Amino acid sequence: MVNCKEATFLMAKKEEGKLSVMEGIKLAMHTSMCSFCKKFEKQTSQIGKESRHVHAENSLPDFAKDKIEKMLKNHSS
Amino acid sequence: MTKQVNKADPQNWLQQYGDLLYQYTLPRVNDSVIAEDLVQETFLSALKGLDGYKGEASEKNWLFTILKNKIIDHYRKKSSGLSVMSMPDLQGADGGWFDEEGSWVENRMPKDWDAADKPLERKEIQKIINWCKDHLKELQQHVFTLKYMEDLDSIEICKILNISSSNYWVLIHRARLKMRDCVEKHRL
Repeated sequence: MVNCKEATFLMAKKEEGKLSVMEGIKLAMHTSMCSFCKKFEKQTSQIGKESRHVHAENSLPDFAKDKIEKMLKNHSS
Repeated sequence: MTKQVNKADPQNWLQQYGDLLYQYTLPRVNDSVIAEDLVQETFLSALKGLDGYKGEASEKNWLFTILKNKIIDHYRKKSSGLSVMSMPDLQGADGGWFDEEGSWVENRMPKDWDAADKPLERKEIQKIINWCKDHLKELQQHVFTLKYMEDLDSIEICKILNISSSNYWVLIHRARLKMRDCVEKHRL
């Protein structure tokens, strides 16, 4: 049997398919009985999925735009 | 039928993709000056590589591919010269989530998110994620960014950051614990 600390550790490896068969069984047994680790897995996977879509709302500052504009002109003419 | 081929149009790049590339880069490097530089370098590399652009990918995807490589290079440069001994994130206490038996400590146990008054909008969650990510310790932040925001796998990340795989798993474990904890605190 694994404990909660080990179970949450194994979950990150599970995401990449890096668990051995034995680890997979131990983790599944633990999660089936531990509602906290079950929540941890669900919530952490939600965070992982949403992270890909994180964007800033700021626009490229004007002085940076000017700089890039000049650079593009210099190099494309 | 002729296959549609995309044509690159550098004159319009800044207007069309400038903000888009910047808004993607900023949360991934956490520094507005670096983000501006990476956007500029992306356009510059694209110009130089214009002949190699065959139009198979859309102009936008092509620029993003270049940008993502720039972001990886940024992390590679950042990590060169770092030694494991100087990685404070790997030393010290575990963060106090678990007791000696490895069970959740009473007040650190994951709570039920569905029980919150109203479910958060995805945009709202993404904002919280970004805030929490900014508050991770340096190396945890790097592994989190590369793993979940850039969608790379552990092998690639170990190479980029020049860390061992056992260090990686410790760092990502702690980053995941902290991120979940932080998101929970800020969403309730």
